[in-house]
Amino acid sequence: MVCANTFLLLFFSSRMKETDADNSVRITERPLFYWILRRHRSMQLFLLLIIVITLFFKVFPLEMQKRIINQAIYLKDTHLLFLYCGLYIGAVTIAGLLKYVTNVLQLYIGQKILVEMRTELYHHVLQLPLQFYRKMQPGTVISAMTAELNAIGFFLGGALAIPITSVLTFVVFIGFMFNLNPLLAMLSMGVYPLEIVVIPFLQKKYNRLNKKRVQTTRSMANVVNESISGIHEVHGNGSYHLEEEKLSSYIQQLYALLKKLFIVKYGIKFANNFFQSIGPFILFLVGGYMAINGQFTLGALVAFLSAYEKVYDPWKELIEYYQSYQDAHVRYQQIMKTFDLDPEHLLLPYNRAPYTLQGNISMKNITFSVPGGVKLLENINLDVKANEQIALVGYSGSGKSTLALLIAQLYDASKGTIFVDDHHMEDLSKLDVSSNIAMIAQHPFIFSGTIRDNLLYGIQAVAGDSSLPDRSQFLSVIRQVGLQDDIIRFGLQAVLSPDQCKPFRDKLLRMRQIIQTSLRSDFEHAIEFYDAGSYLYYSNIRDNIVFGDSLTSEFIIQRLPDHSHFMGLLQEMELEKPLLTLGYAIASQSVTLLADFQDDEFFFQDNPMEADEFTTYSRLMGKLTGPQPTEKEARRLLLILALRFIPKKHSIVSLPSAMEQKILAARHHFQETIVHIDMDHCKVHGTCTPCNKVPKCGEVSGFIPFCPSEYMYTRTLLDNILFGAVKSEHILDEQLRDLARQAFQDEGLLEEVMDIGLDFEVGSKGDRLSGGQKQKLAIARAFLKDVPILIMDEATASLDNTSQARIQGLLESDFKGRKTVIAVIHRLDLTPAYDRIVVLKAGRIVEQGTYDELMARKGAFYELARAEF
Amino acid sequence: MNLPEQNFDLNVLSQLTETQEFLNRMPIFSGAPAGVVKMFAYLAKKEEYVKGENIVSGDIRCDRLFLIMSGKVDIFQMVEGRRFHLQLLSADSFNYFGELALLAEFDWFFSARAWTDVVLLTISREAFTKVMERFPDSYQAMVQKIIKLRINRFVDQSNYLLDHISPDAWREDPPEE
Repeated sequence: MVCANTFLLLFFSSRMKETDADNSVRITERPLFYWILRRHRSMQLFLLLIIVITLFFKVFPLEMQKRIINQAIYLKDTHLLFLYCGLYIGAVTIAGLLKYVTNVLQLYIGQKILVEMRTELYHHVLQLPLQFYRKMQPGTVISAMTAELNAIGFFLGGALAIPITSVLTFVVFIGFMFNLNPLLAMLSMGVYPLEIVVIPFLQKKYNRLNKKRVQTTRSMANVVNESISGIHEVHGNGSYHLEEEKLSSYIQQLYALLKKLFIVKYGIKFANNFFQSIGPFILFLVGGYMAINGQFTLGALVAFLSAYEKVYDPWKELIEYYQSYQDAHVRYQQIMKTFDLDPEHLLLPYNRAPYTLQGNISMKNITFSVPGGVKLLENINLDVKANEQIALVGYSGSGKSTLALLIAQLYDASKGTIFVDDHHMEDLSKLDVSSNIAMIAQHPFIFSGTIRDNLLYGIQAVAGDSSLPDRSQFLSVIRQVGLQDDIIRFGLQAVLSPDQCKPFRDKLLRMRQIIQTSLRSDFEHAIEFYDAGSYLYYSNIRDNIVFGDSLTSEFIIQRLPDHSHFMGLLQEMELEKPLLTLGYAIASQSVTLLADFQDDEFFFQDNPMEADEFTTYSRLMGKLTGPQPTEKEARRLLLILALRFIPKKHSIVSLPSAMEQKILAARHHFQETIVHIDMDHCKVHGTCTPCNKVPKCGEVSGFIPFCPSEYMYTRTLLDNILFGAVKSEHILDEQLRDLARQAFQDEGLLEEVMDIGLDFEVGSKGDRLSGGQKQKLAIARAFLKDVPILIMDEATASLDNTSQARIQGLLESDFKGRKTVIAVIHRLDLTPAYDRIVVLKAGRIVEQGTYDELMARKGAFYELARAEF
Repeated sequence: MNLPEQNFDLNVLSQLTETQEFLNRMPIFSGAPAGVVKMFAYLAKKEEYVKGENIVSGDIRCDRLFLIMSGKVDIFQMVEGRRFHLQLLSADSFNYFGELALLAEFDWFFSARAWTDVVLLTISREAFTKVMERFPDSYQAMVQKIIKLRINRFVDQSNYLLDHISPDAWREDPPEE
């Protein structure tokens, strides 16, 4: 662990050193241009150089225009005409290419700076104290870190290049115009001072509205985030209208703001366009008069007009730059203001390795207050010896959890001091704490990813990837917390690729063989085994005909109605019409029966139609006049329902007995003519003898038949072992689970299956897990860290009695004398096992002692216990 | 929309109709609206057990009502490792068990095994609750029928025990304390 910590220390230190030189100012105090002027300077200088070169190629074509008219055309010299035209097009092409490079570079620099800004800001945000998150809505943080920073990123790239380019271009073109005719140049420049007054005036207005828009968008994000996070409550209470109303007020506010915002924005645009149009008017009037009177050549007038058009581009760019700067500035200020707080503790220890603590904890005169002066804990004095097990008990609101959070350094005491061993808690870095203390919350957070990812979370945070536990450690902790059955179940539901399956394919097939032979009499009550010669009443019609899977999904139900060979087979075997009739019967019956139940998926569990298809089939039934429609889509929809039909599971219709023989004949024909599999071979070999013939056929065609010697790569591990369709989940669950586990154990496959189960994806916030599974996972995560101090904040409260007793037993046996345990407990029948019980009331310790001492004292604990029992 | 019966082979509709007719004969569903019975027929599941096979065991959470379509079921209780027979149910007499499972969750307080090959129709508590949520007017009547069924079974089991009680265990008055 020490070695791993050192690795982590080095990793973070090197990261910090890289940016230290650039980060002398606290992140939230840095102005926007701090990032621009201090990051990627060489790239920005290179960009500037390209811009200067581009300028030359922008002005050069104007001179060529003048010369083409005044020299080549005037002198009727075709040689000169070709030369100037060639130079003109060459310069324009180079300028275009350079502009392209400039754009790419701008974007590249902008995004590079944005990546650094976002990474450093997130680093800062994650370290902010928990109190910050108590008052900060997640929506605000998400909005700031994503959309608002994105908008700034677009500005960053051009922050230096655009103004410099624009100013230089502007000056060069003005110079060119003065060179051609100072009077005309002066006149055409007259409109610009007006713009300098009008545009900033409008922009200020825009900024004010923009600020409000950012705030309103954040509030909207908060409302949506809260509704989605609490969607169970929304559905449970039917409070859809309440949530809609909350959002609706913000939508209206945003609408009103955007209306004003766009009026001002397009006002600025109008002002720009208007001023741009005045220039040519003056030029044509005065320039034309001068050209008529011979005071100005025609070539010069054309070049002047081009220069005027060109001079307006940088001006326009400057105005737009000014607008986007103001926009980015407003957003940036608001983001930095939001997170303008200092982290309370150092992330890493300064110039030393993290401490290895014994687990002694001493609290002296600890008081903890929340804003408003309310004291949640007052004058707490508590000494805990290393390896002592302490239960914190008391009524709700007595401060038990707060005390646990203080020991875990998740909160900081308002007054008093906490010592861990001889170290002041305030002086411990986050790495010191996480290397020595594990905390299990009552409602732990489970991250999206696999079970393995979640188990490793605590260890990876402390030790990086260098000292990860091996499989036996993983599985041992999983058994300790009682997650074994769940992990096995997840493993059995996994679909393995050929590569994943390869190491134990033969063992899995051996398991199948055991179930098919020695355990057959037990399992055949619950499983209808695949048998090449029999109709399968617990499998759908598709499985009955195709009797296998293609590795390329060629024969999935959705694709079969468009599969020419398959459809040809149905026609040849005279099955298409009966299947369409069956599909029609299912659709018609379901639409009639479930019209008032379509909102609940439960009613579609045993129906070939899925709940979200109801509307489609309802419309279809409204149009059809019989079971043999001519329209292709209608036939497709009916055929899909029929192919999904499982006779013994879907009671909505019955399978006409005449169809069974036809389907069996079709199966045989399909195997022989479409996927070229010798099913007779399978029939001869029965259902349990592995052979070498079929796999070869499968390998050639990419088709895996339901053959005893084939692993079905498109099906779950359980499907492969059972090698049949489940007749009764009840029997499988209640009576055969232990039998199957023993067989796994005997074959040495149990650990393999559990290892596969560890890769189960838990979903967002662990939504694919039950409450108990999440809790056990969090406990296993903490146990796997194997640290000297364990803090459990009602960590077993959501577990059933058996699981709770198992964890308690572990504390009493494995952890006794090995770890300091501080457990917040509601169930007082668990307290006798603890070395000491600390009773809290209204933020104060009112009693402490062993269970027997406190019961004999007949004080606060005795009262609590009496109330419970 | 056309009526389905007019357009295709009536054979395909037989399963649901047969189940509905069977449920109509069951005391628990007698008098219930046709829509309710049809939904239960749709949600009911057939389970088949061979002679001697366990159907429910005393230590497992109950979750469904069983209706006997064919065959006989032995209801018994395990006492100190010995089987104590309570009732023999068949399709034509007491043809149901587990009725209380529709109303509450508890561990089975008896065990059942197939005395002959049996075919059972089961209705889960979840299905019962979901259907009753849609037909709240029928709930009261259904609960009353379930309780009556339970009382009938209780009376039958008590009579059976009284018929087989040992003379030593017979008491006319409460034992003196």
